[in-house]
Amino acid sequence: MLSPKRIIHRKKQRGTRDGVAHRGNTIAFGEFGLMAVEPKWITNRQIEAARIAMTRHIKRGGKVWIRIFPDMPYTKKPAETRQGNGKGNPEGWVAVVKKGTMMFEMAGVSEELAREALSLAAQKLPIKTKIVVRREVE
Amino acid sequence: MSNHVFDATLRTSDFGSAGSRRLLRAGKIPAVIYGSKTKPMHIVIDAHKFALAIGSISESTLITLNVEGDEHEVLVKTFQEDIMTDIIHHVDFYEVVRGEKLRAFVSLSVEGNPVGCKKGGILDVVLHEVEVECLPKDLPADIKVDVSALDLNDHISVKELPVAKTVSILTDGDETVATVKSVKVEKVATEEEEVVATEE
Repeated sequence: MLSPKRIIHRKKQRGTRDGVAHRGNTIAFGEFGLMAVEPKWITNRQIEAARIAMTRHIKRGGKVWIRIFPDMPYTKKPAETRQGNGKGNPEGWVAVVKKGTMMFEMAGVSEELAREALSLAAQKLPIKTKIVVRREVE
Repeated sequence: MSNHVFDATLRTSDFGSAGSRRLLRAGKIPAVIYGSKTKPMHIVIDAHKFALAIGSISESTLITLNVEGDEHEVLVKTFQEDIMTDIIHHVDFYEVVRGEKLRAFVSLSVEGNPVGCKKGGILDVVLHEVEVECLPKDLPADIKVDVSALDLNDHISVKELPVAKTVSILTDGDETVATVKSVKVEKVATEEEEVVATEE
């Protein structure tokens, strides 16, 4: 599963997911892409589940790019703990996804197969998405 | 003469973001025409007609703009759109001058099924467009790249692209356009393996 190799700080502030993605919002590598329509934290488990769903459906002949990386640690307090006493323990890793972010890209397969694979991947994600096809003028 | 012809009207008033929004609500797109010998000219085009055509227009497609009876031969330089709603907000047209060389990005269209793909490889298209310099009349709409002869670990570079002698490619000749790579097949655990794993 995706996670950073080394980190500077174990815990991060939560930040914001407001607004539209101004970077990483176009198809850069492949022919087809899966774009986020809503903002959300996407965990590394969800990214891995989506990747497996896609690659198993296309079997061989295609290539998949993952354009998001879970570099944000999230924390959780233990169950039945009173409030206070500092921030909780790191629990996992998430990618901060703003709306408009191109999360996955695909090439080397027919449009029909790509749409099927990307919609299977979309089912593994906690957000609404849309499938985008590369255009000649960007 | 190009296949794409759009009617346009001059935009002489109602500038600014509020004016642009009013135009967009009325089903129009604000646009601008400029060029090496053209004074910038603000125009308005029909949004629906342009949105339908944009799928088949590339940066090297010559378009004829009919601005109140005055014909201009232009290329789409760039356009701004809302990525969430796909509504085009503004278009920049670059007017070409006949007899004067121009630089433009021409898209590459990959054709054929590589030999290497039948042997288990996958086709990786690395480059999707190249920059060319030529006269407007020689500007190709796209460059066809035949990849059917590509074997495993073979590649086509920019210098091998089939272009007319009147067209010179400015992109580095050693850059890879397409390659066929051997694929790593993901191992899917069979039912027997899963049973053994759970028993352990």
